[in-house]
Amino acid sequence: MSDELENKSGYQAQSSETVNEYSGSAVGDVDYVRPAEVSDQDLYHGHSFITKWVFCQDAKVIGVQYFLTAVFTGIVGLILSWLMRLQLGFPGLAGFMTAEHYYQFVTMHGMIMVVYFLTALFLGGFGNYLIPLMVGARDMVFPYVNMISFWMFFVAVAVLMASFFVPGGPTGSGWTLYPPQAILEGTPGSGAGILLMLISLSLFVIGFTMGGLNYLITVLQARTRGMTLMRMPLTVWGIFTATVLAMLAFPALLVSSIMMTLDKVLETSFFMPTIIKAGEVLGYGGGSPILFQHLFWFFGHPEVYIVALPAFGIVSDLISVHSRKNIFGYRMMVWAIVGIGALSFFVWAHHMYVSGMNPWFGFFFATTTLIIAVPTAMKVYNWILTLWRGNIRINTVMLWCLGFIVTFVNGGITGIFLGNVSVDVPLSDTYFVVAHFHMVMGIAPLMVIMGAVYHWFPLVAGRILDEGLGKWHFWITFLGAYSIYFPMHYLGFIGVPRRYFEMYDSPYMTSGVGLNEFISLAAFIVGAAQFILIYNIIKTLKTGKLAGKNPWQANSLEWQTSTVPPEHGNFGEKLPVVHRWPYDFSVPGAKDDFIPQTVPPSEVIDTEVEKT
Amino acid sequence: MSETNKKEQTTTHKIGIYLWIWGLLFVLSFFSYMVDWYQFQGMLRWSLILIFMFLKAGLIMAFFMHLFWERYALVNVLLWPMTAIACFIFLMVAEFEYTLFSRLFYFFVGGVQ
Amino acid sequence: MSDPKIEGYQFKPGFRGMVDDTASDQTMFKGVHWGKAMMWIFLLSDTFVFSCFLISYMKGRGSTPVEWPNASEVFGLHVFGVDVPLLLIAIMTFVLITSSGTMALAVKYGYEKNRKMCGWLILATAIGGLTFVGMQAFEWSKLIHEGVRPWENPFGAAQFGSFFFMITGFHGTHVSIGVIFLFIYAYKTFAGHYDEEKRGWFTSMKGNYVEIEILGLYWHFVDLVWVFIFAFFYLW
Repeated sequence: MSDELENKSGYQAQSSETVNEYSGSAVGDVDYVRPAEVSDQDLYHGHSFITKWVFCQDAKVIGVQYFLTAVFTGIVGLILSWLMRLQLGFPGLAGFMTAEHYYQFVTMHGMIMVVYFLTALFLGGFGNYLIPLMVGARDMVFPYVNMISFWMFFVAVAVLMASFFVPGGPTGSGWTLYPPQAILEGTPGSGAGILLMLISLSLFVIGFTMGGLNYLITVLQARTRGMTLMRMPLTVWGIFTATVLAMLAFPALLVSSIMMTLDKVLETSFFMPTIIKAGEVLGYGGGSPILFQHLFWFFGHPEVYIVALPAFGIVSDLISVHSRKNIFGYRMMVWAIVGIGALSFFVWAHHMYVSGMNPWFGFFFATTTLIIAVPTAMKVYNWILTLWRGNIRINTVMLWCLGFIVTFVNGGITGIFLGNVSVDVPLSDTYFVVAHFHMVMGIAPLMVIMGAVYHWFPLVAGRILDEGLGKWHFWITFLGAYSIYFPMHYLGFIGVPRRYFEMYDSPYMTSGVGLNEFISLAAFIVGAAQFILIYNIIKTLKTGKLAGKNPWQANSLEWQTSTVPPEHGNFGEKLPVVHRWPYDFSVPGAKDDFIPQTVPPSEVIDTEVEKT
Repeated sequence: MSETNKKEQTTTHKIGIYLWIWGLLFVLSFFSYMVDWYQFQGMLRWSLILIFMFLKAGLIMAFFMHLFWERYALVNVLLWPMTAIACFIFLMVAEFEYTLFSRLFYFFVGGVQ
Repeated sequence: MSDPKIEGYQFKPGFRGMVDDTASDQTMFKGVHWGKAMMWIFLLSDTFVFSCFLISYMKGRGSTPVEWPNASEVFGLHVFGVDVPLLLIAIMTFVLITSSGTMALAVKYGYEKNRKMCGWLILATAIGGLTFVGMQAFEWSKLIHEGVRPWENPFGAAQFGSFFFMITGFHGTHVSIGVIFLFIYAYKTFAGHYDEEKRGWFTSMKGNYVEIEILGLYWHFVDLVWVFIFAFFYLW
């Protein structure tokens, strides 16, 4: 046993003479960790209210700022979805609702939820808060740039929201913004609306690039002593890989935004073919609408994984902590995350099977798409095997995780249907697609966000969220979400097309009308249930149970800070030194059922810890 | 730039190597200009343009941007993502050929009425 | 640059070294400054931006049945009674490569703490960049004078002008931003900010000569993009 531990410490053979001045222990000791390569980070501490809370350079405050801004846009998106469901379930009930309004709400709901809510929340919110804490850094590596990143995002959101108030309203071209119709008269918001949307997206990309560089370099270059890549919590792996995807995929969005802006403003014809409108030939000609679709989905498909990968990572950590068991197949999980990330750049045109692209592409993209199912399925098996024979604590966090697994498997399986060209063609543009992507990248990541909020709220605020309210919140959301999206699969099978303002007396809607009403009612209830969380947070901030240090008995570094909530600089005088992975739960022979990452090998000499 | 490397002195390279590469870049640029001057056409033009382009790009990256002296960890991180771009280029070539084909086909033959 | 010495860590060459570096703690890019790593990753992202532009250009040009203008004639210059193809572009290329060379030397002298030499070379680079932007402005005005617009041109396919102005404009923006920073850095070098590790104006973080290399990476990248634009836009 002790031989193994000595091998593990690694470097003694190379420099057995030097005495390590940092940890104060001699080399050759089982606890030896290489000295720090770079000196301690120099931080700017805010002095005034403005530099402490507004233009703050502390990644934790920036994370909360991102979180709150994203939640605000998310609530706007939620209200839009209510309005849509109101129209679909009970046509004509809302008198002000015209077809134009409906399309605008669909568009804004989609764009807000995918880009401004989920992406910003996972990468900006959780990324900023958790990455420095989890890898043992004092802060992000470029705090100033990080601060600018948030304010860029804030301006992007402001521009997006402004489009609600311009003449013609926000764009109504669908969240994919396909030309030519996105910028042609007749589409709602084809004037100022689409321009503001494109500007807002460009600002978002610029702001996000600044943030993304921070996340990547912090993970790659600013880990604490002993923290190898394979000792990082999967949360960090998920957010890290998603950020890599974002850095490489957002350029395509930026380019397509710029080109479409030029098409709109200067009447260039990048995406615009010759168009005859009411007998009159427009100034456009010779452009290629399908080029936009390629560019958009070269961004759009990695974007799906930008949302999904952090969720995968976070849920792995939550499941491991709350079932008191190490994550099953950690390395496999890491490689699956990286593999999914890499593959996501080779599958984009499976969104375009019916677009009129080169028909041979179907072979290529169906194959690559189905290959992605392999690492994804590996992850699902590993989550289930982590739970298997674990000491599961059925608390709110665990409920959300279980809810995630079920929803994700459900959404994933319908994805296999849609990935096959021949099955996809009849299902294209039906509610089956709506149900699929809401299950897999709407509800499933949302479940993880909720679980993560219940898990990390004690760290951020020092108080534990109320479990009773949390369980109500979970069950209403979970059952409600299934009531919404399960019937939608059926609607899709009977052929109800998506994005239709009203179905009127279509013959195949005879069995669909009642379902639509039911779905709408469920949607209202689920939406309202989200305010339970907000009430819970307000209540807990005032009267909640104090969390103390490490309330979940977790191992990762964010729970080992000198104070809870952690102050600026995160770890007090000395940075922690890491000796193990964050999943040493229920180790045979150990005194507690968890061994934090900072515990040196000499303290757990008789236990059967994993070699990491 | 908030952290300082413990080691102060960074080793540099002899000035000769930079001057050599500089000269080579001028020569290669001159050659690629000559491709146009002599109006080579077809595959010959194509391959000459691409060869000179990649040589120049390679020299700039390897020596001026010091990639030749960087460790493989950095080099590989920078070069592997280019496979996604290569795939994109490859597929877009197939795509523009198909677009051109269908434009001409429907222009001359017409669609199904 | 060449391998630094890190206490307790043994560098191995090649792929073996890559595996060791990746598997080690603290840093993956051993001895690489944070800012430099950031610039590399940013440039990777920017490469994707320019790749997407050029791929769009390829798709647009390849799928148009209308004839594409002959770049050799469009960009030719009439000097002293002779038509010289691509003359201006050749000079622009020459200027940009020259400035790239001076930048590479500036980085070298920066690391050798040769403040004067480093400063002059950065200034030379900035002037080179400025000349390039000036010549591009001349080229644009000449083409606009000949009737080339983003939405149409007298020579052939309308997309020619669209892609030309967009891509060279985006590249020119990069050059202009680079020139601004070059002038700022030239001032900071001459003023000795890097020798005394003076804190930055905005970030309030200490500076040092690594920043010259970071700026150099950006500048060489701009040159690199020009190599591709030159090949695909002017020669193809």
